[in-house]
Amino acid sequence: MNRDLINVFLRELRRMTSRRIYFASCLVLPLFSLLFMATLFGNGQMEDLPVGVVDEDNTSASREIARRVDATPTLRITRHYANETEARRDVQRKVIYGYLLIPSGFTEKAGNNQEATLCYYYHNAMLSVGGELRSTFETLLKQVSVTPIVTQAMAMGADEASITSFLMPITEDDFPIYNQNRNYTIYLSQPFFFIFLQILVLLVTTYAIGSERKYGTGGDWLQSAGGNIGIAVVGKLLPSSIIFICIGVLANWVFFGWMQIPLSGSLWAMNLAAILLIVASQALALFLYSLFPVLGLVISVVSMVGSLGATLSGVTFPVAFMDAPVHAASFLFPVRHFMEVVQSLLYEGGSLADYGMSLIALLLFLLPPAFLLPRLKKSIGLNSSTALRSHKNSPSVYRESILEEGEGVEAIIQR
Amino acid sequence: MKILNVALYECKSILHNLPILMVLGGGIFLYGLLYNYMYSPNVLRDVPVVVVDESHTPLSRHYIRLLDATPQVRVQGVVNDLKEARERTRKGEALGITFLPADFDEKVGKGDEAVFVTYNTTVAFLYYAALKEAFSGAMLALDDEVRPRQVVFLASQVVPAIANIRDIQVQGIALYNESGGYASYLIPAVLMVILFQTMLMVISMRCGEENERRMRPLWRVTGHGSSWRTAVSIVIGKSVVYVGFYALFSIFLIGLLPLVFDLPHLADPLLLVQLLTPYLFATVFFGLACSPFFTDSDAPLLLIAFFSVGLLFLSGISWPLELMPWPWRVLHSLLPAPVGTLAFVKANSMGATLVDISSEWSLLWMQCVAYFALACIVYKKY
Repeated sequence: MNRDLINVFLRELRRMTSRRIYFASCLVLPLFSLLFMATLFGNGQMEDLPVGVVDEDNTSASREIARRVDATPTLRITRHYANETEARRDVQRKVIYGYLLIPSGFTEKAGNNQEATLCYYYHNAMLSVGGELRSTFETLLKQVSVTPIVTQAMAMGADEASITSFLMPITEDDFPIYNQNRNYTIYLSQPFFFIFLQILVLLVTTYAIGSERKYGTGGDWLQSAGGNIGIAVVGKLLPSSIIFICIGVLANWVFFGWMQIPLSGSLWAMNLAAILLIVASQALALFLYSLFPVLGLVISVVSMVGSLGATLSGVTFPVAFMDAPVHAASFLFPVRHFMEVVQSLLYEGGSLADYGMSLIALLLFLLPPAFLLPRLKKSIGLNSSTALRSHKNSPSVYRESILEEGEGVEAIIQR
Repeated sequence: MKILNVALYECKSILHNLPILMVLGGGIFLYGLLYNYMYSPNVLRDVPVVVVDESHTPLSRHYIRLLDATPQVRVQGVVNDLKEARERTRKGEALGITFLPADFDEKVGKGDEAVFVTYNTTVAFLYYAALKEAFSGAMLALDDEVRPRQVVFLASQVVPAIANIRDIQVQGIALYNESGGYASYLIPAVLMVILFQTMLMVISMRCGEENERRMRPLWRVTGHGSSWRTAVSIVIGKSVVYVGFYALFSIFLIGLLPLVFDLPHLADPLLLVQLLTPYLFATVFFGLACSPFFTDSDAPLLLIAFFSVGLLFLSGISWPLELMPWPWRVLHSLLPAPVGTLAFVKANSMGATLVDISSEWSLLWMQCVAYFALACIVYKKY
């Protein structure tokens, strides 16, 4: 094997073990996000959401309706109110997420064939909870709404089946293609873990390379790679690639193996996509740094790119429905292509033909930084002369080189 | 006097630091505008679905037209079998399938229930909601049209008896965010998290810079002494500057953006001031209390940026707090961002008053006190 490559690799390992920031960002935070995403949603089901009932009617019929609301797995009646104002106020305080209003005289009106109304109110400022409330109430109350007709018809001797078929000649049967129980763990956990991970990969890569310049150790870095910038970069990024890839594969195992999230496609393909996401994110960070090699500035750009990835990955709001420029820009984010693969594998059991293009797109991210390697080399060479002597990266060496670096930044900015 | 000196020194240091100015400009102004722009479609319209029509009758074609007419859905194509439809969803050309069985019309003609099956993708829950709404809407419309024809299937004595019976009206009313928009749901929370995150970044960059120079510039201003007095003046002096800057940025992010982009803005400006005061102070004190971890001016940025999405989750606006395991609920109440975000959404998107947000509000003040004490201890130890 290439001796220089091993040199740089070992040098990077020494750097990583000498500073807490690498320990935190390569191990602690990824494992923290794994724990976070795996446990945040509990069992993943929206159930027992607290709701209220305003029963102004207070008859056995109205109590029966309330009982049926309480009996749904999604809803739980935690409060009974005498009037709507109090219920409204409790929604505002987020004590309950919605309520059912049974107006006074409801039973009487329904019995006397006058217009009777049931109203449910749901909390839409919290969109996911509101949606859940709405569909539960809607399904339940649809059955309640025809009871007067059904009762009357049955009293006249009709059977229940023919009367419901009359009232609803066409009914639908709802089959979600995937994730039948609408489990939030299935929907969000794995995708969001990788959104977190790509932010870390982007930032760690930028920091690892940028800190060489910042602490004036760039010359030493190049020297250990025998002056070859390609070897220097590969050897430097390899240790963190390996760590992140191990964590990515571990995460896939935790989600699809241990937690048994159903996966329609192949786990190998999922792991391959994770590996490519990590490498592509490293390449993107390298590219951005090579474009503008000042750590303090580029790291804030990279942190923005990382968190924009959360939006543009299309996990929550579909990118195809955003404005054309935003849609186009999303292709510049590795995480977007990764999510295409994930969604194909998760939901459609897709084959290589379906997501192959996305994998290739991830590989394409490796090209732009390769073209900028000479530029990167030049920028490292700029202020490396002072650092050639420092072989070990002790903190004291770092600190002494700071003041020189401070001037270096300003010189770059003025240029 | 010391406080004033620290404040002046801090102010100067911020204005002379280009990366910090970039974080402020980029993070607050660019990010604030960008987020609004990205989510400007707000609601989903014309989601493509594919219909499997095995019945080929006027009735099934009528249903397809009704479905196509719903605002949420666009019929992308009509195919003959389910396999072909799955193929289209696999390629991403369509996101939902409706299946009309061969006996669809026949069953209606016979007075049986005719079942059609809808397959929705749950690729994103947002699609699911849009599709479900459209499918049921079209179905109800068709039901209403077909029903009069069905009278013939009922026993003769039943028809007059039920002809005038009214069914119970059911009304669902959305409280707040009536249009169900995604932007109007998410962006208010994002704005609060941006405030917290950028503020923490600026503080971390400043503290990192000072740590790198072993606090020398700061001691030049205050004189090196580990007295409580010095520590308290440093903490207050710095906080005043940060809160001062952020009071201005808040006017833009919290006051102006919701008006410009037509996001919910139900809260009274006074209430927002009452809420932001403990929020900003708690954030600054929290940042200063963390300063020993900010050992260089770039590394902390790396950690802070990572937490943005997690903080949004912790605020409890997407996944309800009640359903989170308790350790995460505890973490929610220990940090300023999730608590402040939730309070802001309650106030500005739901029109809650100070009394309604009193639990969050008092939590923020408690955080202020605790983190202030912690920050003073930290600065005494330097």
